[in-house]
Amino acid sequence: MHNTPLFPKDMKGDFYSCHFEKGKQEDTIILNLGPQHPSTHGVLRILCEMDGEYVLRAEPVLGYLHRMQEKMGEIKYPAQYMNNMGRVDYLNPMSWNWAFVGAAEKVMGVEVSERCEYARVIAMELSRIASHLVGWGAWILDLGATTPILYAFDDREDVLDIIQELCGSRLTNVYFRVGGVCKDITPRAVQLIKEFIPSMRKRIPMYHALVTKNMILRGRIEGIGIIDRDVCNRYGCTGPVSRGAGIAHDTRRAEPHSVYPKLDFNIPVYTEACSMARYKVRLDEIEQSLNILEQCIEQMPAEGDVLPAKNIKFNTKLPAGEAYYAVEGARGKVGVWIASDGGKYPYRVKLRAPGFCSLSCFAEVAKGMLLADAIAVLGSLDLVIPEVDR
Amino acid sequence: MIAPLQNADCLFLSKENQAKVGYEALAVVEADTLLPLARDFLAAGYHLEDISGLVTRDGAVSAYHFAHFDIPGRAEVLVIAPLDNPSFPSIAAVYQSAEWHERETRDFFGFQYEGNPNFIPLLLSEDMVDVHPLLKAEGSLASLASIFSAEGREREVVKQAEGFTLLDAPVTEEPAPKVAEAPKADAPQKAESPVTPEAKPESKPEAEAQGAADSGQEGAGDA
Repeated sequence: MHNTPLFPKDMKGDFYSCHFEKGKQEDTIILNLGPQHPSTHGVLRILCEMDGEYVLRAEPVLGYLHRMQEKMGEIKYPAQYMNNMGRVDYLNPMSWNWAFVGAAEKVMGVEVSERCEYARVIAMELSRIASHLVGWGAWILDLGATTPILYAFDDREDVLDIIQELCGSRLTNVYFRVGGVCKDITPRAVQLIKEFIPSMRKRIPMYHALVTKNMILRGRIEGIGIIDRDVCNRYGCTGPVSRGAGIAHDTRRAEPHSVYPKLDFNIPVYTEACSMARYKVRLDEIEQSLNILEQCIEQMPAEGDVLPAKNIKFNTKLPAGEAYYAVEGARGKVGVWIASDGGKYPYRVKLRAPGFCSLSCFAEVAKGMLLADAIAVLGSLDLVIPEVDR
Repeated sequence: MIAPLQNADCLFLSKENQAKVGYEALAVVEADTLLPLARDFLAAGYHLEDISGLVTRDGAVSAYHFAHFDIPGRAEVLVIAPLDNPSFPSIAAVYQSAEWHERETRDFFGFQYEGNPNFIPLLLSEDMVDVHPLLKAEGSLASLASIFSAEGREREVVKQAEGFTLLDAPVTEEPAPKVAEAPKADAPQKAESPVTPEAKPESKPEAEAQGAADSGQEGAGDA
């Protein structure tokens, strides 16, 4: 087992630091950041070669929260695997719910009612707002401001109340089912959403006044961490990262699915390509999600079965075939590729995590940057490590 | 049709029903063609969505998904290598994100990507270089056609190299002669085929297996 020739036995440190040290220049130091560092949002580890305060080169080390989700997809029925989809990205589980359910439904050739589609959009947009709030608060916390995250969690509690009304859980939400959702949108949920929309709308100007216009924040993130169109193309960065680079790409529009074509919303785009652009995209997206929620409540047909058809049981297997399904998660394009040979369990489940692609460009972007700026850029990618590692 | 694929030297190229399978074009290319094709994709403004592995009876498959920010349509590109020597050219020189995708696929399947600049374990531990969790036992391998050309698949084949038959619809010769026998002979085989040695919960009764699968999830969502 331990016969890897890559491991230089005469060096101190673990495998990755030894490997990283190979290209070290003179008069530099190797700095190990994480995997338990608070600013790495979980258990991400980054090795940096430092020249004074400047990062010469950086290499993220992954795998500390790796759970082999793709293998679990091959040893469970699709319905059982839904539990995993609530856990891949704990801040935005609905996007994974939908991506997997969408791919499975494509393979099975199942379609759902319009009311169900609206229920899914509502869940998705609520999840996006909750995720952006944490992403925003936690990032500002990295930069040294403690107050905003308290406001963010205050608002997030309201969203979680609604999500709890939808699917019973506040974290690791599993609202979607293959062929439907687990519960209809209740009148109470509608009432909560109607109350939430105006209260959240009032908060966003306050967020801008409190944080966006803050001189210290602007100094930290404006013009820092340029991720432009070229980088996005080469690394496959999507979501707020690419929209901050002036790319008006949103899977909800680019691959029209569900009832999104019937909904009126904008794709916020900023061309500066810096951390501030990504910051603004996220806050604007909260507003757009509120617009979507408002329209969903108005347009949702009163009739329609949202529960899966009776013939779809927990042990329903997929017919032979394969399909790819992508949705716009809070962090970018969430994709699931299912290949089935008609056997008991899916033959292959591939999870395409947007955070994985966004993080892969960090080594290039962080080059030559102050360490403190690199941390700010890392926060701007809005990483969720369980999703990166899967 | 997706522009970079139009002039590419493909073994197989087909137009797919995006509404049904989620991508517009399926291409199978030879390993030598992959790197120039990746360059064409990048030049045309496409980004690499992911690389994933797949092991089939017909060989090890490295699957690439390309998409464009402005042009709708996704391309799925497959490269097939022999199972006993799953070696592919790396496209990390073109798409830098491929470095990680390829390392991940190496961890899961043991595929080799020649030319990857930093080919060390990514998600699995460094002392697990011989452990590849997504490989399947030989008896449980499916054929390429059973997955990609399953019954009811609508496609318009644009190009097919002579002698490339891996994606031809599963052979219909069997059901015709022995219609009566087929269900009996096939049923036990099909039930057994997905049971791989590493997938233990399958041997349990279904209800129990579900319980085991659920309890295995505890503590998985923390960070």
